[in-house]
Amino acid sequence: MLSFLYARQSGLDDPVRLRRAESTRRVLSLELNHNRDVDRIHGNGINTLDIEVIDGRYMLSGGSDGVIVIYDLENNSKKPQYTCKAICTVGRSVCRHVHKFSVETVQWYPHDTGMFVSSSFDKTMKVWDTETLKPAEEFQFDGNVYCHHMSPVARKHSLVAVGTKDPKVQLCDLKSGSRIHILQGHRGEILSVRWSPRYDHILATASTDSRVHIWDVRRASGSLFTLDQHNGDKSKTSSEAVNTAHNGRVNGLCFTADGLHLLTTGTDDRMRLWNSATGENTLVNYGKVVNESRKGLKFTVSRGCSPEFVFVPCGSSVAVYGLHSGELITMLRGHYNNVDCCEFHPDYQELYSGGKDCNILAWVPVLRQPDIEDEETNSKRGGTHAAINPAFEDAWSSDED
Amino acid sequence: MASMHIVLEDTHAVWCSADIRSSLQYLVTLFSRKLFNDSLPPVVLKHQLYSLHNDKTSVDKQVVRSDCNKCSTWDSVQSHFIIITLMHSEALVFSFPRQNELRETGELLMFQLGFDSEAFALVFAEDYRAKVLQGEAGRGTLGTVEKFLTKLIPSCSDLSFNKEKMLKEFLFTDSEITQLVKSGVLTVRDAGSWWLSIPNSGKFIKYFIKGRKAVLGMVKKSKYGEILQTELEGRRTTSQVKFQMKYHIHDIIGAELVECIQTTSGTLLRYVDGNVN
Repeated sequence: MLSFLYARQSGLDDPVRLRRAESTRRVLSLELNHNRDVDRIHGNGINTLDIEVIDGRYMLSGGSDGVIVIYDLENNSKKPQYTCKAICTVGRSVCRHVHKFSVETVQWYPHDTGMFVSSSFDKTMKVWDTETLKPAEEFQFDGNVYCHHMSPVARKHSLVAVGTKDPKVQLCDLKSGSRIHILQGHRGEILSVRWSPRYDHILATASTDSRVHIWDVRRASGSLFTLDQHNGDKSKTSSEAVNTAHNGRVNGLCFTADGLHLLTTGTDDRMRLWNSATGENTLVNYGKVVNESRKGLKFTVSRGCSPEFVFVPCGSSVAVYGLHSGELITMLRGHYNNVDCCEFHPDYQELYSGGKDCNILAWVPVLRQPDIEDEETNSKRGGTHAAINPAFEDAWSSDED
Repeated sequence: MASMHIVLEDTHAVWCSADIRSSLQYLVTLFSRKLFNDSLPPVVLKHQLYSLHNDKTSVDKQVVRSDCNKCSTWDSVQSHFIIITLMHSEALVFSFPRQNELRETGELLMFQLGFDSEAFALVFAEDYRAKVLQGEAGRGTLGTVEKFLTKLIPSCSDLSFNKEKMLKEFLFTDSEITQLVKSGVLTVRDAGSWWLSIPNSGKFIKYFIKGRKAVLGMVKKSKYGEILQTELEGRRTTSQVKFQMKYHIHDIIGAELVECIQTTSGTLLRYVDGNVN
């Protein structure tokens, strides 16, 4: 660590290098911390989590009971023991606009926390005003809404891509409230949609027909390309599976932070890494990534580390893989039941995961242990409270004499 | 270049070279030739290599490299990796380019076996050629099969062929294609396309699936659904298990049908719930 600091100070190294090295070290030491807790509000499983990008302070969670909760992640008490409090709740008894069935996806408005969007199995997508906790807009659909996503980088448009039971991907415009833009091409339910964090017009959609389409929303005709797991080599597979991204339903999508790569997970227990510009399968082999989810799977990639890590919910634990090496780094165990979603906090390198056991667990990097030198200096300053071997401590004589 | 496998116990340093060929040769020795009356070439499954090497991606790269000469996806030079794991879980990884420019093209053939879309069989090309010609000796289809093998082995890396390719590129006629199917070198995949296959491999697949199920059953029935690998290797094989125990163990570890846990008494294999088999 000192060598990194010195190199940065003297100009030998780029400032980014120290940050990246320390971020990577912190991610590799993630574990459950008994000092950090998240308020338990949900009575049923938690389906989705989202941390806002502006401050990284507020987190949204959506549950199977239709309840949406906002938590404050920042620790303003001066104690290490901290519970992330729920600031406000869109609850069943309190709010009459609450979703009737399970909330599948929540997302903060990418540019400020005044607004968030939630979509649910009650076939609606609601745009909420955070101040009043009332929906400012409501979109009705014909089938269950599995997922939605707003582009994190878009300035020119405010389109929300919505994936429902219908094979057509719908784009809803927040500015005008219109929903006429439709993307056709899939033949099954759309389980996951994701905008690229690099270009505001590129959208990826994943469906139960085993295909992933990449769209340019400015084009009138169909998708740009579909992802093919065999990279065009039609000989490796049976004829029905030609041009598919997975051998089963594709239920998870995640772009890397720079938008250059796309990860997909499927019910064939595989995770694949694709080059998002060409659609080429990089053929990184992650092994068996257990995936039994019938809906979308929400997984995430770390930001600011080198090498990057993928956090995938696998049964009742979260598996951490190296992004480009495919190596399983560790399994984060702590949940009592299936984990459904996880979200990475890029500033503090923390991971929040939520699951069917109604808990949100915070995985915090382990702090460095204080060095022996610190203890000695403390003892000099402390005077009587020297650090002595507990075997020699006087535990029997009484103070009152 | 021979592979290096030096284990130094006191410094806990393990040298291993990512030479797939030596692992394949080891796995080939586990294959029971006598079981099929020597009519089958030794077959190894690609995922058995995953149980011997940690990095699945590099195994895939080397297997693809060695059976095709026109891969545009792999642009890195094939290199040896030497991983030294030191005592406090720090790992130093060195990689440098291969010293011998061994052209491995056309040395290995890959087949789609059919019972699992992810299970690929690997056979050394010379073994395959020898056994196929041995099986064809004396039959009328020998000439066509020989012609097919000479076209196939040096350059082709496909697992399946469609009619266009057979007629135009390989210049076979329809009757010759029928002869190839009869001899077992091609299997029907779809109307107008065929898988490359190993003749007489039906028995192999049958015994393999039965044996895999039996070995998995042994693991599942053990107390707590887990068993030490050394103990499993020592168990008496039932009549269902025709192959060597180690062959099946590499298979179930590589296909991730059991979880490998390192313990102080060795590797523990724990049955993974949710297996379809």
